[in-house]
Amino acid sequence: MRLEKCWFCSSTVYPGHGIQFVRNDAKIFRFCRSKCHKNFKMKRNPRKVKWTKAYRRVHGKDMTQDATFEFERKRNRPERYDRHVAEETLKAIKKIDKVRVDREARHHEKRMKGKKAQVQKEAAKELEQSIHMVKAPAVLQKEPSLTLPKVYQKQTEDRMVE
Amino acid sequence: MVQYNFKKITVVPTGKDFIDIILSRTQRQTPTVVHKGYAISRIRQFYMRKVKYTQQNFHDKLSTIIEEFPRLDDIHPFYGDLLHVLYNKDHYKLALGQINTARNLIGKIAKDYVKLLKYGDSLYRCKSLKVAALGRMCTVIKRVGPSLAYLEQIRQHMARLPSIDPNTRTILICGYPNVGKSSFINKITRADVDVQPYAFTTKSLFVGHTDYKYLRYQVIDTPGILDRPFEDRNIIEMCSITALAHLRASVLFFLDISGSCGYSVAQQAALFHSIKSLFMNKPLIIVCNKTDLQALEGISEDDMKLVMEMKAEAMKTLIGQGGEPTNDEGVLLTMSTLTEEGVIAVKNAACERLLDQRVELKMKSKKLNDCLNRFHVAMPKPRDQKERPPCIPEAVLEAKAKKAEQAAEKQKKLERDLENENGGAGVYSASLRKHYILANDEWKEDIMPEILDGHNVYDFVDPDILQRLEELEREEGMHQEHEADDFEMDGAELTPEEQEALAEIRKKKRLIVQQHRIKKSTAESRPTVPRKFDKDKQFTSERMGRQLSTLGLDPTLAINRARSKSRGRKRERSIDKGNQNGTDDMDVDGDQPNKKLRLRSRSLSRSRSRSKSRPPYEVLPGEGLKDSAQKKKAIKLAEKSHNKRNKDARKGEADRVIPTLRPKHLFSGKRSTGKTDRR
Repeated sequence: MRLEKCWFCSSTVYPGHGIQFVRNDAKIFRFCRSKCHKNFKMKRNPRKVKWTKAYRRVHGKDMTQDATFEFERKRNRPERYDRHVAEETLKAIKKIDKVRVDREARHHEKRMKGKKAQVQKEAAKELEQSIHMVKAPAVLQKEPSLTLPKVYQKQTEDRMVE
Repeated sequence: MVQYNFKKITVVPTGKDFIDIILSRTQRQTPTVVHKGYAISRIRQFYMRKVKYTQQNFHDKLSTIIEEFPRLDDIHPFYGDLLHVLYNKDHYKLALGQINTARNLIGKIAKDYVKLLKYGDSLYRCKSLKVAALGRMCTVIKRVGPSLAYLEQIRQHMARLPSIDPNTRTILICGYPNVGKSSFINKITRADVDVQPYAFTTKSLFVGHTDYKYLRYQVIDTPGILDRPFEDRNIIEMCSITALAHLRASVLFFLDISGSCGYSVAQQAALFHSIKSLFMNKPLIIVCNKTDLQALEGISEDDMKLVMEMKAEAMKTLIGQGGEPTNDEGVLLTMSTLTEEGVIAVKNAACERLLDQRVELKMKSKKLNDCLNRFHVAMPKPRDQKERPPCIPEAVLEAKAKKAEQAAEKQKKLERDLENENGGAGVYSASLRKHYILANDEWKEDIMPEILDGHNVYDFVDPDILQRLEELEREEGMHQEHEADDFEMDGAELTPEEQEALAEIRKKKRLIVQQHRIKKSTAESRPTVPRKFDKDKQFTSERMGRQLSTLGLDPTLAINRARSKSRGRKRERSIDKGNQNGTDDMDVDGDQPNKKLRLRSRSLSRSRSRSKSRPPYEVLPGEGLKDSAQKKKAIKLAEKSHNKRNKDARKGEADRVIPTLRPKHLFSGKRSTGKTDRR
């Protein structure tokens, strides 16, 4: 029993899920769900479809090369069973996972580094330019701060009584 | 061993039939349509094809005939002679030769006419050439007709010849006619030869098969031979003579002691002596038949003497073979086919003699030396009486003994037995891990997980995984240190009030965009109504006031201005009525004779109209209403009493107009099927 990778979105296909398509040249395409399958049938390139891992890797959104990926390699030769090796492997898998997640997070941080400053700058600019939509220019002249004006309250009650 | 089977020769048709067959085939298998309008090369090709096709067919058929009939020189001399005896070698060869010549002639004709056809210049000429060619070929065959008929007869006869294998073990039966040869063969084989009281019942060779010592023997029954000079013999006798001459067989010479065949012993003895040359190198047995009528002991002296002479001759053949001279019982035998007494003995004797001779011959031949060593195990001559048994080492002996006792006491427990003990095939499942070779036997029943946290465990298995993991963690530690140094500078942040303002701005922008989108999408289906007729009351002065105040401005001025500009018709009229007699203080110009001028002045005077607009519920003195509530009610009633015309470009009640109540196309016309009750 093996967990496979979906050809389109690169998510894991668990046993009992998905569809496998074998082409005439004996290449096997595995899909995790009908969404990927249908996209494949439409001949879409996963590198151009935003939500796939392939796109994210190609466009630098996710980590591509790392030492943690080297640990997971499909071996074709069966190894003789050794309890100690099995134990170590199981423990190691968890640690490797943690490391990998940390590294991915770091990659993400690096990517988003300048975002905050940029957002603030944009906000300030927008505020300055469009303040006229919420504050009349006359009021702005009197009060040059970029805040909401005080809502004008009419004192008409006495007039009405008259 | 080639089977001499002449049954497979194809039928030879007669001359006429032959021609018919070939010509009809030509007509069927070649194209039939040609017109004189075709290209000349096409016409020529057409006729050439026909000529060639006919020639080819003749050639094929004649070739098969020539090849299938056996060549008398190539087959076993027995058959060669037999066929010669039956059909005359010369005639046979001549017939076949004629067929051959016919074939060649046809080939030549075809070649010549094809050459001529190449230069045929019209359809008629080509056609004539073709007709001539085919005609000549057919004439050739017609001339050869008698040969064909002869060959057909031969073929039919040959097919009925008995299939005698000249190389296998054969027993030949010969003698005078009517002595009991056919009865004998009927007795020992399954053959069913005619047995009749008249002579020459058997007119040709007959074959039967019998078994002796697990071997099969051919028994050949011949027609009777008469004592005549060689040249005078007829075909039937010649058959038997041929058989005698060519087949390597043991010969049973039949003697009728009783003389009931019509010939005396003396005559039979004379025959024997005349053909004894044919018995050279063949095991000969003299069989005295019909002993039930006359026993061998009871014959006359002269006859006995003759019989003894014959026996002597037979003995000579025996000695000549190198057999034991003492055994003379196998030479002269008596039997009676009627009582079946001694029949088997005769057969056995014949078979035995033949077998001996054949074996001896084989022994003498060179071929046997090759397989002789397979029959013979050479044993060295013992030089003394000492026993020398084979030497087996002690260890081997012990091992053998142990194995023997082990096998005796306990048999190896099979998996099958184990399965049967534990409940049978459906219940017990064999433990496949029993024979695993692992470093530690305790691990045999270990179950290793295949999947962990979305990974395949087998992909990670590596003997030096720990080492690599350590390196990885070291790297990770280093990275984390570096990361601590990095710090992001926080830029200038907006204050909460500014943020509020920004949120408000964004909200407004969103609303504008949303509304624009709605307007855009419904533009085609929405009626374009001018703003003064807005149904949803979007453009009220109150709303404007509210919006302005949220912007921070004082809206009263704007509202007043807006109110003063908007004048309903009613108010206009009421104002006008009030001005009928005198001028109002608001009216500047008094009487205006012209309606147009009046209207114009009204619009001009609008700007100088009421400086303050009055709310509608305000009770004016002189109206006759108690208070504003009453006024409101009055206004409401007034509005309800009349149908306010809707000016938002929608279809109202008044617009439901039916231009024609009973249009002709709906109320006329017949239906193709059915009644016209409903319209």
